[in-house]
Amino acid sequence: MSAGSTTGVREAGGTHRATPAPRRAGTGAAYRWELVKLAALVRTRATLAAVLVLPPLVVLLLRGQRAPADTLFGRHVHDSGFAVPLLLLGFATQYVFPLLTSVVAGDVFASEDQHGTWKTLLTRSVSRTQVFWAKTLAATTFAAAVLVVLAASSTVASVLLVGHQPLTGLSGQSIPAPRAALLVVGAWASTALPLLGFTALAVLLSVRTRNPALGVVGPVVAGLLMNLVGSLGGTGWLRRALLSTPLEAWHGLFTATPFWGPLVQGAVVSLLWTALCLGAAHHSLRRRDITGG
Amino acid sequence: MTVTTAPPPPRRFLVPVAGLLAAVGLVVGLSAAGSPDVTRARVEGSLTPAFTRLYVDQQRILGHEVPAASVAARSACDRGGPQVADVGAGADWICLVDFTDQAGAHQQGKFELQVHANACWTAAGPAKLVGGFTITDTRGRDVTNPLSAFDVCFDPDA
Repeated sequence: MSAGSTTGVREAGGTHRATPAPRRAGTGAAYRWELVKLAALVRTRATLAAVLVLPPLVVLLLRGQRAPADTLFGRHVHDSGFAVPLLLLGFATQYVFPLLTSVVAGDVFASEDQHGTWKTLLTRSVSRTQVFWAKTLAATTFAAAVLVVLAASSTVASVLLVGHQPLTGLSGQSIPAPRAALLVVGAWASTALPLLGFTALAVLLSVRTRNPALGVVGPVVAGLLMNLVGSLGGTGWLRRALLSTPLEAWHGLFTATPFWGPLVQGAVVSLLWTALCLGAAHHSLRRRDITGG
Repeated sequence: MTVTTAPPPPRRFLVPVAGLLAAVGLVVGLSAAGSPDVTRARVEGSLTPAFTRLYVDQQRILGHEVPAASVAARSACDRGGPQVADVGAGADWICLVDFTDQAGAHQQGKFELQVHANACWTAAGPAKLVGGFTITDTRGRDVTNPLSAFDVCFDPDA
């Protein structure tokens, strides 16, 4: 499916350049083409469709069930429509967040290896650095789109199907509906930086391994491992240095006296992971000897 | 599969090994640093106000207006008996909550806490004292009993 899209882009690129000015293409142009390539992939469309359609289905399924009490806010899914998006957020951050971004970010570099299209790509008038940023930005755009669609779909479906009752917070306090709505949005937004971190990790694996499968599955396995280590007690600062910990930092928003420490630490940790992974990936791509394929 | 471009032979082994050692060192160092997130003071400090709020909530559902101050709850928590230090995540936290009920009588309840490493815990209340999974409100509907089980999070930096 991506082979077709790559050739399609090359043809499309030709027609694009034939039109007006002989301006040297920059990162922006390369970024737009990467987006066109992504939009043509069945995988990206399927993921976006899934995050749009699945939350309402889950909400409908939950209605007939006993409340799932093993995840935070699970026991309140029948009491408040604001509990459901938080239950889904808790579940998603534990199991599917790395996959939601790695499905694109883990493939975006490695697919050029798989199809042997690096040489063709680099004969365009863009530098490797520009290609690197264009692809990374495109993968980040996809991750952001998935997050926004998933958050909106979960929240809107829950509020429409369950209602906008006050929410019982994480100190036993009752949170009135307008504030609960704001906090739910804040909670989903707080996962953007760790998701960026997982995107960068997937980009690094995609560049280094040159294997789309490893690029996609690697961050998922890493995420599960980090979850496992994070759930062990007595790991000191290691827990706070993990990329999975910032995904839970939103808990602090829902206590009677909100606490921001984990959110701030999580933002710093996520940005560090992002910088390290992207730095290593960029270095690796710049130094790579691209002669074959 | 991972390395297809061949760097000079010595670096080929030296760099990954050095990287692995650095990573292991970092993991060990970070694990050893810092103080425990889950402590007795933090568990007790988060249980007392949460219990008070949820008790007032439960009594309101049952048709009793109880001012929070009159509940005068106090909690004493212990992990795994006297042999075990009262820190860290585990399903073996037991908390005794002393409070004054809506009739003004002194009560004591034993709550079993499952404390997670992420600074959240789940408490299961004694059914005899706090009631079952659902309670019947003043209009005769069955609603979730806020005290039978509840989730609370606390600030691991406080």
